[in-house]
Amino acid sequence: MTDTKSPPERRVVLPVDPTRRTEIDKQRVPMSARPYRLLALVKQDAVVRVQKEPDDTVMTWPHLLAIEFLAAAAMSVFLLFMGLIVNAPLEELANPNVTPEVAKAPWYFLGLQELLAYFHPTVAGALVPAFVLVGAALIPFVDRANPAAVRPSERKTAVVLFTLFCGLGLMVTFIGIFFRGPGYSFILPWVDGFFFTL
Amino acid sequence: MSFLERVDQSIRRSPVFRSIFRNPYPNDERSRAYAVMNNVFLHLHPVRVRQHAVKFAYTFCLGGLSFFLFLVLTVTGVYLMFFYAPTANQAYTDILRIQSEVPFGLLTRNIHRWAAHLMVFFVFLHMMRVFYHGAYKPPREFNWVVGVVLLFLTLFLSFTGYLLPWDQIAYWAITIGSNMAGYAPLFNTPSKILLLAGLEVSGNTLLRFYVLHIMVFPLVGAIFMAVHFWRIRKDGGISGPL
Ligand code: HEM
Repeated sequence: MTDTKSPPERRVVLPVDPTRRTEIDKQRVPMSARPYRLLALVKQDAVVRVQKEPDDTVMTWPHLLAIEFLAAAAMSVFLLFMGLIVNAPLEELANPNVTPEVAKAPWYFLGLQELLAYFHPTVAGALVPAFVLVGAALIPFVDRANPAAVRPSERKTAVVLFTLFCGLGLMVTFIGIFFRGPGYSFILPWVDGFFFTL
Repeated sequence: MSFLERVDQSIRRSPVFRSIFRNPYPNDERSRAYAVMNNVFLHLHPVRVRQHAVKFAYTFCLGGLSFFLFLVLTVTGVYLMFFYAPTANQAYTDILRIQSEVPFGLLTRNIHRWAAHLMVFFVFLHMMRVFYHGAYKPPREFNWVVGVVLLFLTLFLSFTGYLLPWDQIAYWAITIGSNMAGYAPLFNTPSKILLLAGLEVSGNTLLRFYVLHIMVFPLVGAIFMAVHFWRIRKDGGISGPL
């Protein structure tokens, strides 16, 4: 019987100059003799995690891609629909000499504009936004509590604080959008109507 | 075999098709794994994902849709750029012409506008989703910071775009918005000059905002998004399950 398998692939391994062989080189196996290669170095304590095969996985194709496709398709239909029925606002040509009755910042900055009505401009216009951005970036480094505690019920303080903060932001933004009219005066939308363009 | 099936087959068997896709249409696990691994766009994903991460109610697709909106905005934005010149004399009439004369101009502008608002909104929601899942905790701290940079970029992408129609809404919204930068202690005047290219909104501001809007912020944003997506995988995929 002759072996039907094709001969093993042969690769040229250049011998290392013996004078240059160090202790490490002596332990090294030539690349071609190894059926594996170095992918990553793992710390000892992490080995356990690496070896534990997660068995709760599904194939990306089709399970994830199908959802992504559906979401993108639904969004496209929605945008097309919006684009067909609602026109983007456009008023008269910009005129630096005529301040319009209602002058509001874009909605995502309206909360700050609302704060301007209560606080010193330095606070509302500079300190608060700086605090929000830097504060947001620092969250993971401030909340060093148990990393395994991810459920909202296990980290009530963080959740309550964040929710309060978001609620406050949402509230001032809402007031800015709906309860401010000509000259940024306080109005009631159900009495005076809406003064807001997107 | 019907005519369509035959056309379909001959396309799939053609050397051109095979040179592009390498593998046949994926119908079994092995070929589906290859399809994800061998495709530059799908390669963002691992071949397998954890089950809970696929559930719509875990991410609500918010990050993915933010990215999709970014792509929509890029495509519609490039089309609008063909018909728009960022000068105080021309910008407004260009918008009028886009709306009345350019094929699908009105539709494109509408979609660009609504997608932009929606993107800001979705990025906020995405951030809240991530927070409530505690997904900023180790090892994802850095990706959260990358996210905050993305939020900042998204806001300023939208803000710089807001001026471009050069109408009264745009002019005064930007005036008010950038007045806030002028309230910064110490560097109020420099920061305003840096932002507006002058002490008030002018043609120079329009040019500056235009360059930031169509070039700088999208480019920097795309780079940060690449890091963001890369880090999701390097941090062990989506967090959870709760
Ligand atoms: C342009 C804006 C952004 C885009 C396109 C984007 C995209 C994504 C995508 C596609 C994911 C995968 C999971 C998902 O869809 O939820 C994700 C996850 C994540 N994002 Fe974003 N993101 C953006 C902004 C942000 C912001 C503002 C933050 C937070 C400040 C953030 C923090 C994170 C974190 C920590 C993860 C990992 C979540 C997990 O493992 O559950 N991202 N992002």
